[in-house]
Amino acid sequence: MYEFLNELLGNQILAMLLTAAVPLVFILLFTLFAVWLERKVSAHMQDRLGPMRVGWHGSLQLIADFLKILQKEAPVSLEADKPLYNFAPVLVFAGSFAAFAAIPFSSKLIGSEIELGLFYILAVSSFMVIGILMAGWSSNNKYSLLGAMRSAAQIVSYEIPTALVVLGMIMLTGTLSLTKISEMQTSSFWNWYILGGPGLSLSKFLLIPFMIIGFIIIYISTLAEVNRTPFDIPEAESELVAGYFTEYPGIKYAMFMLTEYANMFAVSAIVSILFFGGYQSPVGYLGNMLGIHWMIPFEQAFWFISKGLFFVFVQIWLRWTLPRLRVDQLMALCWKYLIPYAFLNLIIIGIISLL
Amino acid sequence: MTLYDIIFYLFALITIGSAMLVVTTKNIVHAAFALLLTFFGVAGIYVLLAADFLAIVQIMVYVGGILVLIIFGVMLTNKITSVEIKTGTLNVLTASIVIGVFMGLVVSIMVWTGWYSMPAPIPATTAYGLGETLISDYALIFELLAMLLLIALVGAASIARREKESL
Amino acid sequence: MRQYLRNTWDGIYTAFVGMKITFKHLFTRAVTIQYPEVKVPMVDRARNRLYVNIEDCIGCEQCSKACPVSCITIDTVKSTPTDPVGTTSNGKKKALWVTQFDIDIAKCCFCQLCVFPCPTECIKMTSVYEYSEFERESLIYKFASLSEAESAEKKANYEKFEAEKAAAKAAAAAKPADQNKTE
Repeated sequence: MYEFLNELLGNQILAMLLTAAVPLVFILLFTLFAVWLERKVSAHMQDRLGPMRVGWHGSLQLIADFLKILQKEAPVSLEADKPLYNFAPVLVFAGSFAAFAAIPFSSKLIGSEIELGLFYILAVSSFMVIGILMAGWSSNNKYSLLGAMRSAAQIVSYEIPTALVVLGMIMLTGTLSLTKISEMQTSSFWNWYILGGPGLSLSKFLLIPFMIIGFIIIYISTLAEVNRTPFDIPEAESELVAGYFTEYPGIKYAMFMLTEYANMFAVSAIVSILFFGGYQSPVGYLGNMLGIHWMIPFEQAFWFISKGLFFVFVQIWLRWTLPRLRVDQLMALCWKYLIPYAFLNLIIIGIISLL
Repeated sequence: MTLYDIIFYLFALITIGSAMLVVTTKNIVHAAFALLLTFFGVAGIYVLLAADFLAIVQIMVYVGGILVLIIFGVMLTNKITSVEIKTGTLNVLTASIVIGVFMGLVVSIMVWTGWYSMPAPIPATTAYGLGETLISDYALIFELLAMLLLIALVGAASIARREKESL
Repeated sequence: MRQYLRNTWDGIYTAFVGMKITFKHLFTRAVTIQYPEVKVPMVDRARNRLYVNIEDCIGCEQCSKACPVSCITIDTVKSTPTDPVGTTSNGKKKALWVTQFDIDIAKCCFCQLCVFPCPTECIKMTSVYEYSEFERESLIYKFASLSEAESAEKKANYEKFEAEKAAAKAAAAAKPADQNKTE
């Protein structure tokens, strides 16, 4: 993406800015769509209709909401720590936006094709922890601080099962590059890692159950990392108002919301890259059939975004199915269930991949 | 001045500026958060030096682990913000002499060392090389470090364990 | 250990059961009524906005007396034989001009106590329930059909008639006195 733009424009800085703008625009559009989807899905799951007034089935509702949020006055409480208070939303958003740099939307549309993509995404998400702590502390509000503490504890704990599953995948694929992992699962859904990965050998069939276990573990733990129900105790509406962003009005609040939805997509994208072929089509490309090769990246982007959206839909689905966990249940789930299973899974995948 | 230089100086500025803030600020929470920028700046410089793995480890370990730990410690300590932190300047003369001597040493070494300046071949990633080195040349140290971490974990677990109630 | 495995299985299994239920509900018909377009039919005896059929009102003020929150204000002027008010729809003769019949609907507590005493059944509850206003004054409903000038005219008429009547009475009283005088 960057190289292409650099050659096209002949200007490094412009090319960099444009490369960075693509995920930003995507995040904005995705958030608009995802919030609408969330409201519609939640409404229909509760036999309601949800927003219906603005546009077709309320599809423009979010634009109206966004305009409303932009116009809001932004009062800062007197006792807040102003520099940190103003910096926290930026930091949180930067953390989640940075992760998008390494996510391959298609074989061509990728911010930076770094070799350590997976590791990089795990690392930059720690900026979010700091940002959340910063937001909670600087607001000088008990609810905010409690929410931030819970959130940080939760994210730090659930990073472990995530990392363990990712480690298993790294052992299997031998690379940390998200593009390479996607490329390994090319040509058909039969090569996806959820079905044991490419090749046709005994180990492929042996791997399938452990891949499914790994998928479930990473899905649960990433769900917890993005603070979604049933793991939404950091922003539990009924006990903490809104958790760490209780004190944030207007556009700063919008940045937190943007981050939340961007994160939802980012973790869905990682899950789909690791287990569901990333941007690879499950059946093959129209561009190859018709001989139009420039069409393939667009098709790949379509498949990638569809897979991401599907997993976002499952996240929403889970949110409106399960009740919120208690703090001790949350920690018990992580330390007593997910981590031991993830360890076992890791060892078994290691043994099978040696076969 | 190329783009590379501009980015380097930007990161250097971030690192040094925030490090100064860490030292001079009287608010201990501000100091802890300013440390974030210092770590980030150092990671940026690592990236510019083509040490990508090291940069990511820097962020993962220092930002994701140690800094969170520090901030948790600072926040959970009761009434940390109202504690009088002693930041008065004492022994100005002795301190400036000692620092001056060290500064002179560092600067003189920097000036008089005959630095090699040849373009090194930049690998696509340092991860493979690092991995191989870790489990071949430095296998023993690597394993010993793993043992150390395991001991630390066991120790932490034994401290955190609930005492058996004597009946 | 068995309990542990059992917990794991239950956790996953129950989550899927719940997801199945919510997924089914995703496709069941929504129970939402799209309010301004679709309205819930009101029951027959629903109490909502008051309405006064001023043609039938005889100005007896029974409703205003019955009202527990005094939201009805009525002012009447007696009619004169030369300018009769007319009759109600059931043929009763009206004797009073209703110059003011104001209901402050913001005060109304929908108790329906004003409806029962009305002898001509001209005040009643309707099924209209959407009558929000931007001004508080707009919630004071003026039912009197006479304009201000008309009211003033009726008042003047009545006063004139009274004056005439008084004059006639005085004249009548004076006459016998005169007769007595002359006798």
